[in-house]
Amino acid sequence: MRKAEDMQWSSTERQGCVVASPDGRVDEATAQAFADHLASSVTLAAESPGRKLVVDFAGLDYMSSRGLRALTLAKRQADTAGVTMALARPNAVMREILAISRYDKLFPVSDTIEGAL
Amino acid sequence: MLIRFWGTRGSLPVAATASIVQEKVAGALLAASGRSFADLDEARAFTRNELDFATGGTFGGATTCVEIAAGDPDAGDPYILCDMGSGLRSFGLDAMRRCAAGHARVYHFFMSHLHWDHIMGFPFFVPAFDPNAHIVIHSGHEDAETALRRQQEEISFPVAFDWLRAKIEFRTLKPGEVYQIGAVQVEVMEQHHSHSSFGYRFTDADGKIAVFSTDSEHKMEKMHGEADVEAFFGNADLVICDTMYSLADSVSMKEDWGHSSNVVAIDLCHGARAKRLALFHHEPVYSDADIARMHAESIRYEELTREHAPLEVLCAYDGLEVVL
Ligand SMILES: [Zn+2]
Ligand SMILES: [Zn+2]
Repeated sequence: MRKAEDMQWSSTERQGCVVASPDGRVDEATAQAFADHLASSVTLAAESPGRKLVVDFAGLDYMSSRGLRALTLAKRQADTAGVTMALARPNAVMREILAISRYDKLFPVSDTIEGAL
Repeated sequence: MLIRFWGTRGSLPVAATASIVQEKVAGALLAASGRSFADLDEARAFTRNELDFATGGTFGGATTCVEIAAGDPDAGDPYILCDMGSGLRSFGLDAMRRCAAGHARVYHFFMSHLHWDHIMGFPFFVPAFDPNAHIVIHSGHEDAETALRRQQEEISFPVAFDWLRAKIEFRTLKPGEVYQIGAVQVEVMEQHHSHSSFGYRFTDADGKIAVFSTDSEHKMEKMHGEADVEAFFGNADLVICDTMYSLADSVSMKEDWGHSSNVVAIDLCHGARAKRLALFHHEPVYSDADIARMHAESIRYEELTREHAPLEVLCAYDGLEVVL
């Protein structure tokens, strides 16, 4: 079983927006770390001029429902804080998972970071 | 163990309309273009083997009722049933036939909860009028008797509960206990749903395990508690799961409506190392094609997220039988 530390996370600021880049996969073992990182990224985005959080999926292999539900919790926090959220650069597997779960109806999904900003 | 699905729809019974049947016939004619059939049997074989299920068949529209056939009916083992949705009516007629052939007239019901779609079949359950029948209604709820009596009050139904001829008993079961009832061991789990609901885990003498878990919402804020659910589903040969909504709907517009999604059910079954999942409690507004699409997507999600042995994803329909 992988540990929570296996979830790598980096975040940068682009055009006044926070771009957060998780790395690895989000499953039972890493979902809590993913949720915690998301929460701090929303807080960071609330203080940024663009008040926007782009979650860059490029480094994510796949995500189970726990990761998806963590995204919903983050979106709630974001809505309260006046932050908009967008997802960018999902791989083919993640794109399918977003479609099957209908999360592509809850979040804007784009192929590039620029498209999400 | 054999599982028979008598009703698989959620919330409200539905029936195919003329235009739905015409669409199926038109689809079948198109699929058969250029073919000719010598007789009805050949045409039937084509329908069964070559048409997709949504065209040649239907998931059905009766509300939840599932039979767990365990043990040996010839040795007197009783009927085991989950819920009393409108599908119970067909079971009751079939049971009368089986009783005439010697089956014991003893019925053990296990109630997920007492919402209307899960009890509406009981007033039409013919064995309840059989003076030689013994009906035991097991429930996690203490108010099961109130619910069943109330739906047969004069304002709602012409036949009062007290006019039923069978011997009817109510027993309240508690989570954490293990009960030996008929040919199965039964365990109970409380679930998140309006006025609460209960899941049941049945184990037969061969060690085959079936879990019935419907009308259960897995709350986002309580994901840590899902370890308990996975333990309850643990190594099951079949888990029957409420998969009424998409995950997105279940966490947004339909949050707190008390239901779950295909995606969460698959994750739970993966975590539990279950062998099979039956998608269940289908949304009444879904067409057969919608349900078939949801089934195909569920199979795909299982493949994409699989880390251990494959989980077989079935889609329950009225009339489906699964041998464990
Ligand atoms: Zn229901
Ligand atoms: Zn219900």
